[in-house]
Amino acid sequence: MVSVVSAGKKWGKSLSSRPENVGLGVMLGLGVGAVALAAQWVKGPSAMLVAIAMLAMVVGLIYTAFAGGLEARKSLAPYGLLKPGMIWLCLFFLAPLWAMVVMSLSSKAGRFDFFPDFTWNFENYRIALTKFRPQFIRSFSYAGIATMLTIVIGYPLAYFIAFRGGKYRNILLGLVVIPFFTSYLIRTLAWNNILADEGPVVSLINKLHISGVFESLDIMQNGKLMNTPAAVIGGLTYNFLPFMVLPIYVSLEKIDVRLVDAAMDLYSSASQAFRKVVLPLSLPGLFAGSLLVFIPAAGDFVNAQFLGNPQTTMIGNSIQDQFLRQLNYPVASAMSFVLMIIITIIVLIYTKFMGTEDLA
Amino acid sequence: MNTRRTTTPQSVKASRLNRRDFLIRGGLMGAGALSLPALLAACGGGSSSSVDTAGGGGSSLFFENWPGYMDEKTVGLFQAASGVSMKYTEAFNDNNEYFAKIQPELSKGKKIAPDILAPTFWMAARLIQLGWVQKLPKADIPNFVNLRDDLRGPSWDSGDEYNLPYQTGIAGIAYNSKITGRELKSVADLFDPAFKGKIGMLTEMRDTIGLILMGEGKKIADVKTFDQASVAFDKLTKAKNDGQIRSFTGNDYVDDLSAGNFAACVAWSGDVLQLTKDNPDVKFIVPEEGGTSWYDTMVWVKGSENSDSVAKWMNFLYDPVNAARLTAFVQYISPVKGVQDELAKMGGDNAKLAEDPLLFPDAATFALLQSWGALAEEEEAKFDEAFASITGA
Repeated sequence: MVSVVSAGKKWGKSLSSRPENVGLGVMLGLGVGAVALAAQWVKGPSAMLVAIAMLAMVVGLIYTAFAGGLEARKSLAPYGLLKPGMIWLCLFFLAPLWAMVVMSLSSKAGRFDFFPDFTWNFENYRIALTKFRPQFIRSFSYAGIATMLTIVIGYPLAYFIAFRGGKYRNILLGLVVIPFFTSYLIRTLAWNNILADEGPVVSLINKLHISGVFESLDIMQNGKLMNTPAAVIGGLTYNFLPFMVLPIYVSLEKIDVRLVDAAMDLYSSASQAFRKVVLPLSLPGLFAGSLLVFIPAAGDFVNAQFLGNPQTTMIGNSIQDQFLRQLNYPVASAMSFVLMIIITIIVLIYTKFMGTEDLA
Repeated sequence: MNTRRTTTPQSVKASRLNRRDFLIRGGLMGAGALSLPALLAACGGGSSSSVDTAGGGGSSLFFENWPGYMDEKTVGLFQAASGVSMKYTEAFNDNNEYFAKIQPELSKGKKIAPDILAPTFWMAARLIQLGWVQKLPKADIPNFVNLRDDLRGPSWDSGDEYNLPYQTGIAGIAYNSKITGRELKSVADLFDPAFKGKIGMLTEMRDTIGLILMGEGKKIADVKTFDQASVAFDKLTKAKNDGQIRSFTGNDYVDDLSAGNFAACVAWSGDVLQLTKDNPDVKFIVPEEGGTSWYDTMVWVKGSENSDSVAKWMNFLYDPVNAARLTAFVQYISPVKGVQDELAKMGGDNAKLAEDPLLFPDAATFALLQSWGALAEEEEAKFDEAFASITGA
């Protein structure tokens, strides 16, 4: 009996001599346990065992922290700070992702089968990639164009606020954010009235007799602005503009204006100073902004639904339809997963291309 | 049908919130509360606003209905008359989406919170086929005799054992004569190249496809397979590719029609009734080739044990006096016999409603109406899939 206790103490001591290993081990253990429980890898009694093991890990961790003294607690601290975020990610990102992948490889026995069986059914991916290819291509091109438009509109705006805003800076920034006080849906629906066939914009264009210009640019189709690709892209640009302006503003605002003076002293023209000093220093903001705009825009379905026509549907609309109306969970999961993969690849290429690591 | 937005005559507005105000306010609040995750959440509890949950022991009842589909007095009057404590919510927004919401419980044989639902007839047929609803306590519903004869014995419930219609309506064509510049009368007008990019269609497959099929001279009750209907799908696909169709909508066609974005669209009778009064350019017709008739029908969900309250409620609604009050508010065609006389007795604007040909269609209009039979599971899947690929979703 005594030997068991002393062995336990010895083990405890050896653990407390390497507290960082305990911290890492418990963090990983809790993460795996959380995914196992949430994704239902284990059920019933074995789920209880996993839960008890997780609890034991926490108890062990607390013991290590108390037994090891100040030093041990210091080396445990980083893992302690990581744990809430990690467990959150495991529960609400990894576990659902796992469930989605499993669903995307399942097949339904009948139309109203709510529990599709896992069958390595890659057919779902074939459908996602062939039948919905136009929607994928459309989503990425709309999101790409909208991202570029937000840069074209947002960069000068952020530049103006950062360097010429003066004491009105905060008010101007507030004006950029104010539309967000209204619901996303309401803001999108409002464009319905503005762009309507008998609405103010179209009437003005017709009065000025410039509808031909818009038609030739393909912004207007058949005399209408609403329910065109231009309306959908415009809606995306409008809705995501602040996500571009704010990060660019933050990186511009940090720039020491004396750097521009220094460039001028070294005989660079204003445009050279911008190209060689200001623009490179603002790239992190531009980079963050484009990701913040492109990723949600690619998956958006609200703009296409309310401002588009049957030929402008984006992949988000198709996923929603497959999930909620066709009840085709396997294909919808495959589509969601393909969307995630493509976005990840695009972001990786973009990161490589922009190479902002040394700038951030 | 999607959120049906119907409207009431302005004169009825005087004393209370009417259905249109109610829906606009409700819609704004709903939209405000709406977030993307909420839209995407396939299942989970109903986020419903409880209208009335008056306490008290004894029997209870929970009716989940379409938005804006009930006047303000009826639930209270029923509770006072029957002693049943009734919960009434309006979270039933879309047949398919509601089905997705209740599927997890009902497919496992668990019960869901509501006792009564009012899905559209084809969804009721599906629920019956899946065994998710139970036989109505008809012996305790003496007012069942007031059910309109033409609604009795549908092919999917030949003994009227499982369903009792709530409201009925017509899908036809609505148009804005200021934009069209002429009167319309036929389904073919929807495909007139002069209206390119100005035509709306409903996302409700049976109404849109049904109307096109009738335009092609088919009897929709006889359509049992996808092949028989493929001509309508081809025609719709071509119209979409030509840019003829501006959008597929739920009830929101009302705004597009009134704003002049739509020259014409497939529409529901009740919606257009009020619009016509606000905007005389907007007109509703049952095309000469025919219109579809649809109805939403009450079913009793399996697992619910409140047989007594269910019977009392249905009996209450099928009393012509109560049915007339409901009709004056929702302005759809009542399934209850005797409503026309009751409305006439109410006098004033309600008496005018009794004369309205869209609320009480004459024999000639009735003769033009057709309704869908039940489609087999695999055939319905083909219809839905083909329709979804046209609507672009």
